[in-house]
Amino acid sequence: MTWTEIGWVIIGLAVVLLLFFNLLFTRRDWYPVRVNPAVNAFVKQRVRALEGGKQSQVVLGNRFWSRAYPALGLHALSVSASLVKADPGAQETQVFAAGTGELSLFARQILCGTYQDGYSSALNLILTGPTPHAFMAGFLAEMGLHSPGSVGLFGHYGPMEALILEAAQMKGGHSFAAAGSISAQAALFLTTRDLLIGEEIFLLPGLMDRSPSLQAAWISEDILRVLMIALLVIAAGLTLAGVL
Amino acid sequence: MKRIIVILTASLTGLTILAGYFFQTQLANLTGLLIEWGILLVGLAGVIGVGYLFKMHLVRVAHWQKGSLLSLIVLVAFLVTVGIGFFLPPDSAFFRNWVLNIQIPVETSLLAILAVTMLFASLRIIRTRGWTLMSVSFLISALISLILNLHYLNPAIGTAGAEWLEFVRRLPLAGLRGILIGIALGGLIVGLRVLLGMDRPYEDES
Repeated sequence: MTWTEIGWVIIGLAVVLLLFFNLLFTRRDWYPVRVNPAVNAFVKQRVRALEGGKQSQVVLGNRFWSRAYPALGLHALSVSASLVKADPGAQETQVFAAGTGELSLFARQILCGTYQDGYSSALNLILTGPTPHAFMAGFLAEMGLHSPGSVGLFGHYGPMEALILEAAQMKGGHSFAAAGSISAQAALFLTTRDLLIGEEIFLLPGLMDRSPSLQAAWISEDILRVLMIALLVIAAGLTLAGVL
Repeated sequence: MKRIIVILTASLTGLTILAGYFFQTQLANLTGLLIEWGILLVGLAGVIGVGYLFKMHLVRVAHWQKGSLLSLIVLVAFLVTVGIGFFLPPDSAFFRNWVLNIQIPVETSLLAILAVTMLFASLRIIRTRGWTLMSVSFLISALISLILNLHYLNPAIGTAGAEWLEFVRRLPLAGLRGILIGIALGGLIVGLRVLLGMDRPYEDES
């Protein structure tokens, strides 16, 4: 069996699991949601910021797609949809920022879909720069104009974006990150307490919106994780024994 | 009806591209065409995005809102760069030097700020994250990694000490792979949810 074939088996298994559990959870009990203190703190601080009239800034990343992390842009959009649904009345104080044209366009589509006729693009969607450095410099300038109550980073970043969280904390805002890449996660680990790492990032929408499809995604990811760990341990054991 | 058409278009396009990896010779032309369309659309979205950026700053300057001076600088820089870009070819040495001599110092200064910020952040990590197993292990492993990479410890090749050092040096790589596998699994599920129509962020609420 080649590595490509193993990949296809994993993809096929993921499809079967997703479809099966989605069907199951629309009819029966849902998968129990695990408590995550970082996400709870983020949700509480967002509410506090909105109640205090401060901005809750949601940053969707500086790239929509990359070869190493292809799904981070999609994930950011998925989270933004969950956040908008969670606080539909907070249009004026909830600000979404994107670092590329396509991300801002898709985010606008999500916001328009949620707010319908009440949507005004001037209120809550900003593109602060079309390249990663320009985006970051622009966003830092925006933070200087409007002190944030909470800042959440989602999507694709480099280590540079740790400066955003540092600036948010200096202004008294709460910071939260569920963002890649590896270098970004290493830098963000130093600057924020509430950080999701690795596969935890992709479990986030399920914590905010407990729909059957998101619960199906949770259990499918859990099963695949356990399977992967078992496969790695078995492969390591066989390599040590000289079989592989 | 509109909803079904959107879901079908998104799912079929995604599944065709996915199938293209499996049936490379049979579907090469179709996937190539779809990818070209995708690149074109993303490029167009980029242009629209720049339009948003321009409009946002223009509105801020027109209403003389907070931060309009910064917006004015952005607009002037943008218009000058676009204007010169229209008259000079992209490989013009003058244009390239002019842009790079502004861009590189600005980006380098941002990196310098990042280096200082990271240094201070690592010094106060216990205050940020508390005395947890994670933060203490992070500090200890960072310290060990720094010491090892100074190359003061150089045991003879083939000895137990050299093997142990090699093992310790490879430990971060194992952690890195673990995180990458996790991200890949999560990414797979997110992609499949969109392909199967379970997650439809592009859809209206009505």
